[in-house]
Amino acid sequence: MPDFGDHVDNGIFSQILEMDDSEADRDFSMPLVLNFFEQAEETFVKMDKALIQRNLEDLSGLGHFLKGSSATLGFNKIRDSCQIIQQYGHKQTIDGASEPNEDVCLKKITEALNKAKSDTSHLEGKMKQFFKW
Amino acid sequence: MPPPESDAGAGAQAGNNSSDFVRKLYKMLEDPSYNSVVRWSADGTSFVVLENEKFTKTILPKHFKHSNFASFVRQLNKYDFHKVRHNEENGEAPYGRDTWEFRHPRFRADRRDDLDNIRRKAPAPRKMPPTEDAFPASQQIMVLSESLNATNVQIQSLQEQYLDLDRTNRLLVAEVLSLQKIVRAQSQASNELITHLNNMEDRRRNSRHSAQSSHSSHSGNNYHPATLGFLPDGTDEPAPELRRAREILNGVSPDSQADRELERLSMAYNQNGQSPADSAGSSAMFAHPVPGGMNVMHDPFSDPRHMVYPVGQTTGIDPFHADHIHNIPYSRPLSNPNVLTEAPSQITPPPKDHQGGGSLWRGKKPQILLVEDDKTCARIGSKFLSHMDCSVETARDGLEAVEKINQDAERFDLIFMDIIMPHLDGVSATAMIRMVAQNLPIIAMTSNIRQEDITTYFQFGMNDVLAKPFTRDGMIRILKKHLTRMLKDPQSAGVLDSTEIAGQQTAGAPGPGPPGYAPAMTMAGNVQVKMEQTPIQSPSTTASWHSPGRLQNPSPNFDQGGYMSAVNSSGAGGVVLTPGGTQRPPQQYANYIQAQAGQPPTLARVSDGMPMGDDRPEKRQRLYAPSQGGPYVQ
Repeated sequence: MPDFGDHVDNGIFSQILEMDDSEADRDFSMPLVLNFFEQAEETFVKMDKALIQRNLEDLSGLGHFLKGSSATLGFNKIRDSCQIIQQYGHKQTIDGASEPNEDVCLKKITEALNKAKSDTSHLEGKMKQFFKW
Repeated sequence: MPPPESDAGAGAQAGNNSSDFVRKLYKMLEDPSYNSVVRWSADGTSFVVLENEKFTKTILPKHFKHSNFASFVRQLNKYDFHKVRHNEENGEAPYGRDTWEFRHPRFRADRRDDLDNIRRKAPAPRKMPPTEDAFPASQQIMVLSESLNATNVQIQSLQEQYLDLDRTNRLLVAEVLSLQKIVRAQSQASNELITHLNNMEDRRRNSRHSAQSSHSSHSGNNYHPATLGFLPDGTDEPAPELRRAREILNGVSPDSQADRELERLSMAYNQNGQSPADSAGSSAMFAHPVPGGMNVMHDPFSDPRHMVYPVGQTTGIDPFHADHIHNIPYSRPLSNPNVLTEAPSQITPPPKDHQGGGSLWRGKKPQILLVEDDKTCARIGSKFLSHMDCSVETARDGLEAVEKINQDAERFDLIFMDIIMPHLDGVSATAMIRMVAQNLPIIAMTSNIRQEDITTYFQFGMNDVLAKPFTRDGMIRILKKHLTRMLKDPQSAGVLDSTEIAGQQTAGAPGPGPPGYAPAMTMAGNVQVKMEQTPIQSPSTTASWHSPGRLQNPSPNFDQGGYMSAVNSSGAGGVVLTPGGTQRPPQQYANYIQAQAGQPPTLARVSDGMPMGDDRPEKRQRLYAPSQGGPYVQ
């Protein structure tokens, strides 16, 4: 298994790879990962939209949604950004303190979203190499 | 009022004469980059919205701070703009279908100076905007949904109040009952004291008497009459203070009517507590619910009329959302911050044994229901489970899960349940499933592993927690623990658990030690047992006067106490309570449980003042019987 650095929790990700019947084929893990990137793409589009509309509630929901998938695959960096989006969408800081200023929330979310996007495309490149799709 | 000027800039300043809305509208139309979405018509006498959706989503928010096309149109109507109708049969829709053209005689591309003459119409016919026919459906729906939202919010707050009152009331009833007991005990004690003092007094008097009457100074004489003094002398009055005290005590007779009412209330509450939705314990253990339980009081949670969900959440309902969590009728124990930080690492302990190949199971494969809205999670979970030789079905949300259980409550051996899901969250789904399937193990799968969250899961009938992102080993551990009876080799599960029990029994004994988190997590099934036993053993109110030692016993691990005692007594069946302070559940917890407590006999026992440590074999057997052989017996 290649080193994905701190992008990926190897423990979690390797468990998923172990579920493949054959290492040559990877017919379980590969569609999962592919599917994740599709899902991420779609979610980012929705998040962009929600950002324009300043719809924090949607942002929080979308953040939660992508957080679940990324966490399950062990994609930690993306997960962390999603956590930020989810929290500030709830008008809360990462520690759960209240952040009533919507502008601050939107700014934090914008930053986290940009980071999530760049981390995702970076990881997608690495996964591409690994799965040779 | 400054006179309207022809210059647009000045016109914009023109105070109350000009309209913000109209100016914004004009400004928007000046932006050439919107040309494909919204623009002036060719002759500049009207404007056209070409792409409704884009307009609503991107341009409206920028210029009008909302994204509601209907309200934009309403606004236009207020300023007497009119929709331009085209006769489509004549091919006269110059901008295509689904476009909107609006006209106002004074709103023209070349007449900026005229903008100030566009005024709001008199607000008279508010109810009937002229374009009612243009938007009847969408407007009605909007109005309806707005009022529905408002109603929902209202119901929610009423519900909160109701639950609050309900909770307070339960507490008060419990409190009053216990105070009554204390008062009774104290009056009894006073009586004893008075009797004792009386005797002393008599003795003293008699001895003096005899000393005076018989002048013989044999020392023995002093004692003899003293013993006789137990019989009332008849001639000598007892001290007036003592007599008065006794009169006062006898003068206070309890209001038996009120007492009966209280008793009835408390019974009713307890009956209600039986409802499976409310307490995991009662549901799992009392597999035969008390027949014809009084339904005087509605159980606020299981009553579907009270199920109001947070408004506006589309992606997932978070049971811990502020709107929701406050509706849940229980008090949560304090969380211990130390425990929190430990939690994640201990939840999935490293596996002790790897079951590579070969089936874990003795006979039929376990049927697992995996409730998870996230596809990735669901696929990985299903894969792990089928790798462990289980058959898996998935449900995408709580509602689907409830439906599946309703179809056939017996079909599944275990449920893995996500918490935050659309339509129906996992906690509520569990509460509903508990009404038909009391013994089915339901495992929360969640990344919310704060102590109070977990406590909530347990209180609503969940049996265990699997932290997300879950691991294969974590899943195996859960299966082994909760499906022990289905294992080919039950020992393989037993090894781990029995060592745990041993460890916890010592921990549960007087030396509290730092129990940490692991016991609660790994032994979570026992929480059921705890729910069962705590009410019997220790409503803390009774504890306070029956065994004062208890009170002095500090309870350093206050919120762990509940778990520990559960582990302790369930593990070894016979071991009940040692007088260790650690076994006292958190105070508010105990109150809650007391309110929820088992059947009337339980209450009766408590009021009888049974010693805490009293073993009750008959009760014990009844408690265990239904789930015997099930996964909860370690």
